[in-house]
Amino acid sequence: MSGAAKGGSLRRFARRFWRHRRRLALGFLSIPLAQLGDVGITLLIRDALDKIEAGDGADHLASTFWFVVGVALLYGLFRFSQRWFIVSVSRSFERELKQDLFDSLSLLPFSFHDRTRSGDVVSRATSDVENLRMFLGPGTMYCAGAFVILPVTLTLLFSVHPQMAATIILPLILMGLTIRLTAPRLHKWSTAVQESLADISSRAQESFAGVRVVRGYAREEERSERFAQDSGDNRDNQIALSKWRGLQSAVIHLANDLCFAVILVLGGYGLLAGELSKGDLFLFIDLVIKVFWPIIALGWMAGIYPRAVASAKRVAEILDEESEIRERAEPVELGEPAGEIQLSGVGFVHDGAPKPTLSGIDLNVAAGSTVGVVGPTGCGKTTLLGLIGRLHDATEGVVSVDGVPIRDLKLSSLRGALSYVPQDSFLFSDTYRNNLLFGADEHLEDEELERLIETACMTEEVAEFPNGLDELIGERGVTLSGGQRQRTCIARALARDARVLILDDCLSAVDTETEGELLQGLRDAGDARTVLVSAHRLSTVAHADHVLVLTEDGRVADRGTHTELAARPGWYQETWERQQAEEALGEL
Amino acid sequence: MSDDWIDPDIVAHKGWDTSLLKRLLKFARPHAREFLKSIGVLTGVFACALLGPWIWKEAIDGPLAAAIDARAAGDTPDMAPFLQWIGFYLLVVLANMGFYYLQTAQLLRTGQLVIHDLRTVLFRHMHRLDLPFFDSTPTGSLVTRVTTDVENLNELFTSGLVVLLFDAVKIIITLGLLFTIDPLLATVVVALTPVMIAISIIFRGGARRAYRTVRARLAAKNGYFQEVLSGIRVVQIFRRERRVMERFDGYLDRYLRANLRTIFLFAVFFPVLAFVVNLIQASTIWVGGTRIVGGELTYGEFLQFWFYLAMFVSPIRDMGERYNVIQSAFASAERIFQVLDTEPEIKAPATPRALPAHAGMEAVRFEGVSFSYIPGREVIEDVSFEIPPGKTVAIVGATGSGKSTLVSLLLRFHDPSEGVVTHDGADLRQYDPRAWRGRTGLVLQEDYLFAGTVRENLVMGREDVTEESLARAIEMSSCGRIIDNLEGGLEGEVAERGATFSTGERQLLAIARALAADPALVILDEATASVDSATEAAIEEATRNLLKGRSALVVAHRLSTIRRADEILVLHHGQIRERGTHAELLGKGGLYAKLHALQFGEDTEGRNKG
Repeated sequence: MSGAAKGGSLRRFARRFWRHRRRLALGFLSIPLAQLGDVGITLLIRDALDKIEAGDGADHLASTFWFVVGVALLYGLFRFSQRWFIVSVSRSFERELKQDLFDSLSLLPFSFHDRTRSGDVVSRATSDVENLRMFLGPGTMYCAGAFVILPVTLTLLFSVHPQMAATIILPLILMGLTIRLTAPRLHKWSTAVQESLADISSRAQESFAGVRVVRGYAREEERSERFAQDSGDNRDNQIALSKWRGLQSAVIHLANDLCFAVILVLGGYGLLAGELSKGDLFLFIDLVIKVFWPIIALGWMAGIYPRAVASAKRVAEILDEESEIRERAEPVELGEPAGEIQLSGVGFVHDGAPKPTLSGIDLNVAAGSTVGVVGPTGCGKTTLLGLIGRLHDATEGVVSVDGVPIRDLKLSSLRGALSYVPQDSFLFSDTYRNNLLFGADEHLEDEELERLIETACMTEEVAEFPNGLDELIGERGVTLSGGQRQRTCIARALARDARVLILDDCLSAVDTETEGELLQGLRDAGDARTVLVSAHRLSTVAHADHVLVLTEDGRVADRGTHTELAARPGWYQETWERQQAEEALGEL
Repeated sequence: MSDDWIDPDIVAHKGWDTSLLKRLLKFARPHAREFLKSIGVLTGVFACALLGPWIWKEAIDGPLAAAIDARAAGDTPDMAPFLQWIGFYLLVVLANMGFYYLQTAQLLRTGQLVIHDLRTVLFRHMHRLDLPFFDSTPTGSLVTRVTTDVENLNELFTSGLVVLLFDAVKIIITLGLLFTIDPLLATVVVALTPVMIAISIIFRGGARRAYRTVRARLAAKNGYFQEVLSGIRVVQIFRRERRVMERFDGYLDRYLRANLRTIFLFAVFFPVLAFVVNLIQASTIWVGGTRIVGGELTYGEFLQFWFYLAMFVSPIRDMGERYNVIQSAFASAERIFQVLDTEPEIKAPATPRALPAHAGMEAVRFEGVSFSYIPGREVIEDVSFEIPPGKTVAIVGATGSGKSTLVSLLLRFHDPSEGVVTHDGADLRQYDPRAWRGRTGLVLQEDYLFAGTVRENLVMGREDVTEESLARAIEMSSCGRIIDNLEGGLEGEVAERGATFSTGERQLLAIARALAADPALVILDEATASVDSATEAAIEEATRNLLKGRSALVVAHRLSTIRRADEILVLHHGQIRERGTHAELLGKGGLYAKLHALQFGEDTEGRNKG
C-alpha cells in the first residue's frame, strides 16, 4: 500500500474532524501557550537559582513565587481549554460519524445486511470509530503538545550546553525507537489476548446455551477442560503481553535514568569547569522530566497510526457502500394501488452462492386474493416474499405490482403499498403502543389500536399488562411468548392501511384454533386486501385462493387450491396428512 | 422511559468488604510465592526511586562541591570520588530497569495465575449446578460471570490492592524523607497534601458517577443500534428509516452529553492538580531558596527535594482510581461468590451404586412419579410405566402435557417430588448422575452443535466412541452424504450454532451423535420442523436404527415412530390417559383409536408414512 493511499482514507476523516474548526482552533492555540507556560515555570526557577548563586540574596524569591503562581494559573487555564475543546470535538466527531453510519446502514438494502455479519458491522461502528476518534482527537492533541515542547526544550538546552543537550538526545531516541519497535509486538499480543478472551466468552456462551446436551451426555468435565484450555491460553497470552509491556516500560525508564546520568556526569563537570550554573543544571533536570511524557505520547501515536488507517478504511467502506436497490431516473408513483402482483420467470441467487435460491417462479396474485407459499424448510419462501418489497432484487425475471415492474416504481410508493409481518417476529424494546404505532403512517387513537389488537387476538393479553398499552416489552418489560409476539407483529402490520399484506410464516407459534380465528379476522378486516402468506403449517394456507408449493431447491413443485393439492399425491399431501395426524395426537 | 436504566451486569460499585476479601485471598494463597515476589519487586522499584535522588545529593554536595572548592583554591580537583558515585548511580539505573520490567511482568503474571484458577473453578462449579439455574438466568449474564467479572478481579490483584497499599507506604516514606531534608519545606508539602488527596477523591467520585451514566447510555445506544440492524427488514418495508434515525440521534445526543461531562471533569482535574503541584514548587523555591541563601540547605538537597516531589505526586493522583478499581472488583467478587455459594441439589451420593459392568440396560421404571416446580401445581402426576430392556416407550400428548418433564426426570435433570424412577430396581438417586447419563444417548428437538469439527461434535470427547463405532453411527444415521458434501468431511468446521446445516441435517447429526457411543438407553425428543420427503425418509430410517434393540423413551411426533413403539403413553395434563401398543390402542376404541380412524380412514396398516 502506498503512503498516499494509506493517508488518503484517514484524510477524509481528518476533514470531517476539521468541520469543528472554531473549537479546534481554540484548542490547538491553547497547546503552545500551555507548553510555554510549563517551560516558563522551569525558567523562572532557574533564574531564581542563578540569582542565589550570584549572591543576590533572598529578596527576589517572593516575586519568583508570585510569578510562578501566575504562570501556573495561565498554564492550568490553557491546559483546561486544550483538553476541553479538542477532546469534546472528538466526541462530536464520533457522534456525527456514528449518525452517518447508522443512516447509511438503515438505508442499505437487505442484501447488504444479509452478507455482512452484524458483529462486524457493530465493531466498525464502535471500535473502529473509537480508533479514529482517539487518533484524531487525543492523539493529535498529545502530538501537537510534543511538537511544541520538544523543539523549544531542545533549543533551550542546546543554547545552554550543546554537548550535554546532544548527548541527552541519544537515550531519548532510544526510547522513541523502542516504543515504535515494540508497538507491533504489543499489538500482536494484545490482539491475541482479545481473541482468546473472545474464545473464552464464546466457549462459555455455547456451553451455557447448550447445557442440556452437555448435561445429557455427561460432558461437563470435557467442557470444563476445554474452557480451562481457553482460559489457560488467555493467561499465557496475557503473560506474554505483560513481558513486552514490561520490556517497554523498562526501556522507557532506562532512557529516562540515562538522561539523568548524563546530566549528572556532564553537568557535574560543567559545574566544575564553570561552563554551567546551578540554575542551568536544574533547567536540564526539570525539562527532561517535562519532555518525558510527550515523547512517550509520540511513540504511542506511531503505534496507533496504522490501526487508525485500517479503521478509516473499514468505516469508509460502510459509508461508501452504495445501495444496489436503486430507483430509476424517473420512477413511477402508484396512485391508488389495486394490489395485483405478478411474478414472471423470477429467480434469485444470493451473492456468491453456488446455486440459486429461487428459479423460474411464475405467479399471478389477483388484487384482493390470498395466495399461500409453502414448501420444505429452506425452500426460499422468505426470499420470495422479500422480493416483492425489494428487500432483495430478483436476479432474473420481473416482479410487477399493478402491471408495473417494481424496478420502475418509486421505492417509497412501492413499500407504502405493502405491509409486512416478518418470520422472526421482530419487535422493539419499547412500549406496546409504540410498537403498534411503528406500523402506522399517521397517529392512531387508542380505540383504533384496540380494534387492531382484537383482530390480532391479543385483547386478553394486553388487558393483563399492568401498564396497558404503555407496557414496555422486551428484556426491560414484559416478555411475550412466541405466539404473542407474532400476533403483535400482525397488529402492527394492520396499523398501516396497505393494499398488500405479506405474512412470512408468522403464525407458527400460534395454536391452530387462534390461527383460524385470526385468519378469519384478517379476511373480515382486509376486504379486498391482497394477502401473500408463507407457512410451515399448511392449515395456515388451507383457505387461500391459490397455493404455490416450492421444492427444496426453490422451484415450483405444484400449485392449486388446498383441496386440489391435498388430493394429489406429493409433498403437500404427505405433509398435510402428517401435520393433521400430529396435530390430532398433540390434542389428545 | 428512563435512558439511564442500568444493566445489572454493568459493573456496579460496592464499599469495602473484609469478608469478601478474605474469600478472595483464599484463591491467592496457592500463589503466595508470586505475591511475595510482587512485593519484593515493588520494594525494589521504590528503593531505586529513593536511591537515585539521594546519590544526586551525595555526589553534588560531597565530592563535586569539594572539587569545585579545590579548583577555586587552585588545587587539582579529585574527581575519582564523584565518578564512584556515578558508577553507583549507573548500577541503580540498571537495577531500576530490571525492577520496572519485573513490576509489569510479575504483577500481571500474578493476577493472571489467580484469575485463571478462579475462572476455571467457577466454570466447573457452574456446570455442576441444576438446570433451573440455567433456565432462570439469561445466558449473557452467565457469560459475564466468567468473563467481565473475573477480569475485574484481575485488576484488583494487579493494580488494586497491593499497589494501593504500596502507594500509601510510598507517600508516608517520601514525606518522612522530605522532613529529613528540610522540615520547613516538608511542612509546606504536608499542608497541601490533604488538598491534593481531597481533589483526587472528589474528582474520582464525580468521574465514577459520570462514567456510570456514560456506560448506561452507551449500552442503550449500542442496544438500539443492534436492535435496528436485526429488524432492518421491518424498518425498510415500513419506510421507517427516518424515524429510527431520529431516535438514534436522540441516543447519540444523550451519550454525547454524558461524555462531555466526563471530559469536563478530566479537563478540570489535571490542571487543578498540576496547579497545586506548581504551588508546592513555587513555595519550594521561595522557602528553599531563602534557606540556601541562609546556608541551611545545600544545592544538592534542593535537587533531591525536587526529585522526591515529582515522585510524591503520582500515587496521590492515582489514589482515587485505585479505589474505584477495588470497589468494582468487590461488586464482581460478590456476584461470583453468589454463584459459587449455590449448591446443586442433584449430586452423586457418597458411595454411588455401580451400573452393570456390561454396557446394557436393565428395566427402567417410573413408579408413582409426580413432579412440580411450584408445590401444588403438578406438572406430572402419579405416572407409572416401565421401559423393559430393549423396548421403546413413546409418549404422545399436547404441548405442556409434561412430555419433556418425563425426559428431564429420566435424565435426572430434576428429581421427582414424589415416587421414584428406578433402574434395575434401584432408585436413580443411588447412582452417580453423570455415570447414569453417560449410558444414555440423547437427541433433542433443537439439538445443539458446538464450535469445532463435525468429528468433535459427534465424538464429544467420549472415550467409548471408537473409529468403528463412529463410522457405524454415521452409516446408520444416513449422515454419510452430509459429511461428504462438507468441505473437509469429518474434520470440517461447524459454523456458529450449526448454521452450516439445514434443520433436517442437524437432526440426522444429532442421531449420529447419540449412536456413536452405542447407548443402551435412548432418549429422543422428536423435532417437528417440516423437511422435504427425502430428508424425512432419511430421518425415519435413522430413527428406526437408533431405536432398534435399545431401551428408549421417545417424545414422539412421527406416526412411523409411534407405530413401532412397544408401548404408547397418551399423556394429558401430566397424567397417563391411555396406554398400550398401537394395535391395542386401536383395538380399545378409545381416544387414540377414534382419532387415528378420523385422520387415516381404513388405511392404517399399508402406509409407512403418516
